[in-house]
Amino acid sequence: MKRKFFHLLFIFTFVPFFLIACSGGGSETSTSTESENTNETPVTNEEEATTSGGTLKIAYEAQPNTLDPSVTTAGATKDLSRPIYESLVTLNENWEVTPQLAESYEISEDGTVVTFKLRQGVLFHNGEEMKAEDVIASMEKWTEYSSLAKSMLSGAEWVEVDEYTVELHLERPSGLVMQTLADQNQVAAIMPKEVAEAADATGAKEYIGTGPFKFEEWQTDQYVKMVRFEDYQPLNDSPSGLAGEKLALVDEIYWYFVPDESTRNAGLISGEYDIATGISYDTVEQIEAVPHLSAYIHPYGFQMLVFNKKSGLFTDVKARQAVNYAVDKQAILQTSFADERFYNMESSLFRPEQTEWYSQVGKEIYDTHDLDLAKQLLEEAGYNGEEVVILTSRDYAYQYNAAVSVQQMLNDVGINAKLDVYDWGTLLDRRSDPEAWDIFFTGWDTSLIPHQYSFLDSEAEWPGWTNSPEIDQILDDMETAATPEEVKELNDKLHEEFWNYMPLVNIGNYSKVTGINEKVKGYQDFIGPVVWNVSVEE
Amino acid sequence: MGRYTLGRLLSLIPVLLIVAVIVFFLMHLTPGDPASIMLGPNATPEEVERLREELGLNLPIHEQFFDWFFGLFRGDFGWSLSQNKPVLQAIFEHLGPTISLSILAQSISMVLAIPLGIIAAKKRGTNVDRLFMILVMLGMAIPSFLLGLLFIQLFAVKLQWFPVAGYLPVSAGLWNHLQYMILPATALGIIQTAVIARMTRSSMLDVLSANYIKTANAKGLRDRVITYKHALKNAAIPILTVLGEHFGSLLAGAVVTETVFNLPGLGQLVINGIEKRDYTLIQGTILFTALVYLLVNLAVDLLYGFVDPRVRLNRKS
Repeated sequence: MKRKFFHLLFIFTFVPFFLIACSGGGSETSTSTESENTNETPVTNEEEATTSGGTLKIAYEAQPNTLDPSVTTAGATKDLSRPIYESLVTLNENWEVTPQLAESYEISEDGTVVTFKLRQGVLFHNGEEMKAEDVIASMEKWTEYSSLAKSMLSGAEWVEVDEYTVELHLERPSGLVMQTLADQNQVAAIMPKEVAEAADATGAKEYIGTGPFKFEEWQTDQYVKMVRFEDYQPLNDSPSGLAGEKLALVDEIYWYFVPDESTRNAGLISGEYDIATGISYDTVEQIEAVPHLSAYIHPYGFQMLVFNKKSGLFTDVKARQAVNYAVDKQAILQTSFADERFYNMESSLFRPEQTEWYSQVGKEIYDTHDLDLAKQLLEEAGYNGEEVVILTSRDYAYQYNAAVSVQQMLNDVGINAKLDVYDWGTLLDRRSDPEAWDIFFTGWDTSLIPHQYSFLDSEAEWPGWTNSPEIDQILDDMETAATPEEVKELNDKLHEEFWNYMPLVNIGNYSKVTGINEKVKGYQDFIGPVVWNVSVEE
Repeated sequence: MGRYTLGRLLSLIPVLLIVAVIVFFLMHLTPGDPASIMLGPNATPEEVERLREELGLNLPIHEQFFDWFFGLFRGDFGWSLSQNKPVLQAIFEHLGPTISLSILAQSISMVLAIPLGIIAAKKRGTNVDRLFMILVMLGMAIPSFLLGLLFIQLFAVKLQWFPVAGYLPVSAGLWNHLQYMILPATALGIIQTAVIARMTRSSMLDVLSANYIKTANAKGLRDRVITYKHALKNAAIPILTVLGEHFGSLLAGAVVTETVFNLPGLGQLVINGIEKRDYTLIQGTILFTALVYLLVNLAVDLLYGFVDPRVRLNRKS
């Protein structure tokens, strides 16, 4: 009897290990044959036009502090609030400003007044119609908390003309006002007047917008649930980026907060989640090996090596240029992202699809990898072998990997580089002390206009402490530029000055990966997940 | 007995006060700041400073301390920035999964460990005992998160018997609740089984070699009676101590297991708090778990008296 018991115990203890070991081998071998499943372009499905019903279950990496996107630039808030809220204007797939809650807008000849005609009959989730007073209260609240709005719209005033018309009165004309209003980092969300007025720095107390889904429930540390807003009034234009027709095809959306990456992957494989965001680069092949899953790769931002320009070696521009020539950007990107599908060598601060802003000026400096030139510049900068501290965190593997390979590359040209590794919270703290570091790594999501890049602006005092009167002047001139041609010219000049002054080294663009179940149709990512026009086949 | 309990309860107060002071200053000495984490890496120092002001983080540290400390006496543990609600409410909301996980894991480990330990002690030196020792070593060597991940791969992804992760409260139905709890509780319970079984074995070995057991054997008492009535009861105190310690630490939140299985318990609450440098939340949760730990220990001490009347007599004298 007792012997039997031990046999059973033995079986229960060891058999699972063998089973798992065997199953692991199987998925590895099928990797290469299945890898064509990758979707590098948005998953679109033209035939899906009607309501599919069902539930969309998304495993998301982080829990936001608030769902009010007008008070924070936090990515989790931006992504989760997007189905709930809309703004006066938004962006289409070419990053062009397009009306959303505004039916149309008109800029006066002198450029100081923008008149918005509001769409009529647009309802909030509480059943009340959106009117001028709601827009004004919301925009005033956003202007108070958005640093971009504060700098670009300083002294501006929102004026109600009638129930469906509002005007924005600017102190001085600005060619970038519409882009500012369409900002996706900190969205100018329109909410009912009483909600906007009751909000504070931590956000609105109720989540009421005009979007295709309405907020239903937030179970802390578990999920946020949204349900279809039946009275939503979609536009008739075809969907493009964040603009055009938005249809709530599924009945409800669950955003599960799953911080552990292997749990997100396991849930996606078992079918518990339909979508899992933030798939790590080294598990993409594992996802692609599962027949009903695909990896959707979407552009995100650029990786950068930031210099401390306030103290130490890199106050000298020659030392900064030396680092740029000393590092092999392709090798860094390969170390960070493991596969060419997840990065590209790009010198511009903008993506090629941002036709108004993309510039190749400075590309030759970006492309040059010349160790002799680097050593010469270091000598000219008077480098004496002092210690160079690279600040990094293991919390973001790609940043840490980049830091390790850069340390080696700097050693190769005779720079005495050392890594200081902290958790992310401590890194954020330490980087504000100019005596604590020389280089740190971070990523920056591609922005809409250069003014959102705090690292360019001397006044922003962003860690790294850029201090370039030339760049400041270009940014100021852009604001008052009269024509798009003029802006384009200034933008080329900005890129030139960026690569001369070199506040940081732009290592290159990188993408993020989302795992998707094949039953999900129409999902795409445009500066974050786009969950409308998405259906789930049961 | 009543007086003894009251005395023990009163002695908790200075311990908790010391914990409160240490936790507060330890947290505030840790680099990092909630405002810069809330605003993200692209925020400018001006924005961070503004939020710090709004949140009262720029006040002198002693002011922040007294604000929080005197609040405790009113039952006010402060406001959690990351959870956007009072700290106590956040703690109570996260208590359900932790309690459930603790009870289940503890039950699993008790059911497995005590019989295993007894059998191993009785079969001392045989192959059964050696196999037992190997299993125990294995159990102690495997980290619970690894066991958790293996369980997920096998029982949730491959066999699909259980959900991968997540949580449903008991109010959603007992079976629905258990479905989410079985894997994490087993992963935790197995690790604990190893420790408790070892303790049971060595404690039983001590007792089994005592003279009164020999006498009982010589009297011709049945083996089962000797083992369970005479030996186990006398071997119970060290086992009870280990059980109490483990239960206390389980109630403090099984951080890694809760993260792997995405259970919204106290462990996750603390981890989120630390990542976001949510000082009041961390302080509140640690203070709360310290209290729970102390109470569990007190309960164990009181239980000694029930298990072993000699302890009761000693207390009286």
